[in-house]
Amino acid sequence: MDNGSSVLAHLERLETQVSRSHKQSEELQSVQAQEGALGTKIHKLRRLRDELRAAVRHRRASVKACIANVEPNQTVEINEQEALEEKLENVKAILQAYHFTGLSGKLTSRGVCVCISTAFEGNLLDSYFVDLVIQKPLRIHHHSVPVFIPLEEIAAKYLQTNIQHFLFSLCEYLNAYSGRKYQADRLQSDFAALLTGPLQRNPLCNLLSFTYKLDPGGQSLPFCARLLYKDLTATLPTDVTVTCQGVEVLSTSWEEQRASHETLFCTKPLHQVFASFTRKGEKLDMSLVS
Amino acid sequence: MDETIAEFIKRTILKIPMNELTTILKAWDFLSENQLQTVNFRQRKESVVQHLIHLCEEKHASISDAAQLDIIYMQFHQHQKVWDVFQMIKGPGEDVDLFDMKQFKNSFKKILQRALKNVTVSFRETEENAVWIRIAWGTQYTKPNQYKPTYVVYYSQTPYAFTSSSMLRRNTPLLGQALTIASKHHQIVKMDLRSRYLDSLKAIVFKQYNQTFETHNSTTPLQERSLGLDINMDSRIIHENIVEKERVQRITQETFGDYPQPQLEFAQYKLETKFKSGLNGSVLAEREEPLRCLIKFSSPHLLEALKSLAPAALVCRIQKLLCYSGSHSQGTQDPSSWQKDLYLLFVPLYPRC
Repeated sequence: MDNGSSVLAHLERLETQVSRSHKQSEELQSVQAQEGALGTKIHKLRRLRDELRAAVRHRRASVKACIANVEPNQTVEINEQEALEEKLENVKAILQAYHFTGLSGKLTSRGVCVCISTAFEGNLLDSYFVDLVIQKPLRIHHHSVPVFIPLEEIAAKYLQTNIQHFLFSLCEYLNAYSGRKYQADRLQSDFAALLTGPLQRNPLCNLLSFTYKLDPGGQSLPFCARLLYKDLTATLPTDVTVTCQGVEVLSTSWEEQRASHETLFCTKPLHQVFASFTRKGEKLDMSLVS
Repeated sequence: MDETIAEFIKRTILKIPMNELTTILKAWDFLSENQLQTVNFRQRKESVVQHLIHLCEEKHASISDAAQLDIIYMQFHQHQKVWDVFQMIKGPGEDVDLFDMKQFKNSFKKILQRALKNVTVSFRETEENAVWIRIAWGTQYTKPNQYKPTYVVYYSQTPYAFTSSSMLRRNTPLLGQALTIASKHHQIVKMDLRSRYLDSLKAIVFKQYNQTFETHNSTTPLQERSLGLDINMDSRIIHENIVEKERVQRITQETFGDYPQPQLEFAQYKLETKFKSGLNGSVLAEREEPLRCLIKFSSPHLLEALKSLAPAALVCRIQKLLCYSGSHSQGTQDPSSWQKDLYLLFVPLYPRC
């Protein structure tokens, strides 16, 4: 029986060997198949890689070609940028300079902030602002207009219906006020020597009262002048009275002078009248010397 | 020099703090430089005062000189009084205002002197086109009481006058009349504004408190402010809050601006409103006519307090902050327009019952 078992064992061994070798060959086949598949995949990928590489090279070459053509334009770009910056600065400067026109503005988040720059005889004087809110109804948010300028009246008349009229009317009042103030200031500062007392003035500068002498310390009579500016949009007075202090009746020459002064004050700005007084005074001095 | 005048000057000088004494005396310009140099200001105050009185006697100070000194003291110590605001109204179709200071002073004085024989009226002009008026009131039979004067600050060619609240209320109508007639107005009305700070009242009434304007010349950008958030909080909460906080801050800034607020202590409004009721209905809600209420705000610095209220607000909705504490002109001389703005700001903040 040992032989039988050993034979069976042997046969078993052989069987397993055969099955193993079958398996192995199967495995080998599958592996080979896999190998084959992988091999083709590798080939495919290699081909793809080569194609892509070629494409990249091609692109690079064409970009280089492009750049080669565009190379001189890089400097042009920089120049363009500079040109734009210059334009921007220019525009900013123009916007800033706009206030020399007397009426300028800047858009705000709510509406517009209008700037009225007043001037008289070519001298730029104070600026006033009106901040408008663009809504229905149009309203003034805040402003720097002095309280004695009738802003509310002008707004009541024109703000809702004709904003241009509103702004021009306000400009008129402010420019006239600035002009009157300028004349009064000039009189006080430049011609204080000719005044024999302080200049009486009010906030609107529409009533001025002063006494003056043509030759201070000399023999001439002191004159009292009273200038009324009833038209608030004008820089020249509407009524002028010149009297002689403490003298009832004037001699003809003094009366002539008094009348001429009245006319002068009505027709010329205040400081110019006084400038002509000083010139006349100088002329008189010269005649005395010669 | 009269005993009473000497006493009055003495009491006025005693009120002045030592560090202001020389400035005020110089502004008074009654004692000359030479006289002032003879005074040793480093002595005890009583001795200095004695010496000054002696100098005043030498110069024969009158009651009007003494009144001038009193005005100057008050100009330096404005906040010691509470100031009311009066607005004058011109009649319809009146001529252009040709204000003459001399005429005004004469007219004002005459009206008071005609009504009360005994009254001391003094004027002092300032550089900003304002005139300080001091009135010491007497009656037909008694001399003016120099220790309880009324001060008026009138800005010429404007409708506004500020008066120190006086104990002697019976004289207020006469004062109003004198002001109105002398300044060629038609009517005078007391405004609902009162404060110790004249500058603030001026700023409000002349609408001078927001003087920053956008122009092309300004290069400073609008400042960004930190919102004061707690960085330790959850970042999601922070994000939720940021949007709301930014909105509130923007509205507050637009309303109040970046400048320091005028110092107002007290504001009062009349309000007519109907009450809404929640669940059960209440007697108040069932009324047909609106209820008339009086709302009073008071604070050491009212506008700053209101300004900080919105960002710190605990209310959930700030609906219509349509307040513009700047001026808005619809062509009406509405004395309470500023107040209306303030009211519109705060009604939504107070939940209706």
